[in-house]
Formats: sequence, structure tokens, C-alpha cells
Amino acid sequence: MINATKKWIFIKASSLVFLPLMTWFIISLVSIYDKEYVDVISFFSTQPAKFLTSLLMVVAFFYSSLSISEIFEDYIHHEKTKNVATKTLYVIAIIIPLITIIIIFNLTI
Amino acid sequence: MENNNPLSPHIQIYSWNISSLISISHRITGVINIIALTVVCLWIASLLLGESNYEYIKFFLQSIFGKFVILSLVWSFTFQILSEIRHLFWDFGYGFELKTSKISGLLVILGSFIFTTLIYLFNRQIL
Repeated sequence: MINATKKWIFIKASSLVFLPLMTWFIISLVSIYDKEYVDVISFFSTQPAKFLTSLLMVVAFFYSSLSISEIFEDYIHHEKTKNVATKTLYVIAIIIPLITIIIIFNLTI
Repeated sequence: MENNNPLSPHIQIYSWNISSLISISHRITGVINIIALTVVCLWIASLLLGESNYEYIKFFLQSIFGKFVILSLVWSFTFQILSEIRHLFWDFGYGFELKTSKISGLLVILGSFIFTTLIYLFNRQIL
């Protein structure tokens, strides 16, 4: 299987997980975004929000980084610039969810 | 190794239609959404600063501008979800006919506004 096919399968598989998680998150976000500190921290401290938010961050950044790398593929002409931009994107897509998960699992009321 | 893949022509050379509008919007909202999710991560991280510092963030989120930002993000996420569902149908071989493609494109645009309104109003207990 060629790399482009693998990438397409990863994008589609992650989008199938991403869609229900994102739907859950936007409904939850609208419910809590302007609430008191204690209410917001209670939301992220309890299951299943803790697990679902962590999973969303991993899947969303994975899916988005693969999708955006396709935009780089289409519009960045300079090969080295494209490689640096893509690798930077992949590093960011690992670091941000990782830090967020650590934070979520350390939140206490 | 030299990559000889052809590059996409610039979007300005195409005449606009519903499919191109959805296609470019799908890409733009995709980029906006990853930035928005990064901001959401920062928002979660801000909870570590304690209740007194969180007051500033709460003040912003309770302002008219804060509500506008949240509503815009909900639209952007909703658009991305509906547009991705359209792409998934295509991946399974459905909806390629020109008429069907135009209708599904319109449904994505209209649906994104309708679902954004419903999600916001239901969750704010206005409906």
C-alpha cells in the first residue's frame, strides 16, 4: 500500500471518530463556556468528559494535521519549506494534545 | 528525491460555484478549527491559574464579543462536521451527480446555520 493511500485511510478513519466527538464537544462547550470556575472545572474533572475531551484532542489534532498537510501539499511550491511546515505541524499536533491531557488529568476542584 | 507532483492552480482562476465555495470553506474552517481547538486547550490550561485569575476569562466569555466568538466557533465546527459527512458519502460512492452535489452543498451551508442556531438556543435554554 502506498503512503498516499495510507494517509487517506487515516484521514477517513479519524474523521469517523472525530465527527461524534466534535458534536458532543460543541454541545457541551455552549453549555459551560460562560459558567463559574467551579462549574467549568467540575465538568472537565468528571467522567466521561475527562476521557472524551482527551480522546477528542488526540483525534482532532491527528485528523486536522493530516488534512492541513494536504493543503501544504497543494499550495506550498518550495519542497524544503513544505517539509518543514509539515513536520512542524505534526510536532504541534503531538505536543498540544499531550499537554492538554496532562492538564485535564491534573484538574481538581 | 525530486517531487514532480503537479501543484494546484490558484483558486482565483476558477469561476465560483457551490462546490468550490464549499471546498474552499471546508479547508478554511479546517484551519480555523485547529486554531480554535488550540485556544480551547489554552482555556482548559487557564483553569490551573485558579479561580481569581479565571475571572478575567469569564468576563470575556460573558461579554457580547465573547458570545460572538463562541457562536462563530460553533458555526465553524458545525460546518466542518456537515461538510465532512458530505465527503464521507462521496467516499462511499454516493452523491456525485451534479444536481445531488449542488443540493448537498446547499444543505451543508443551510444546515450549518440551522444547527448552530439550534445548538446555541437549546443549550442556553431559550427554546
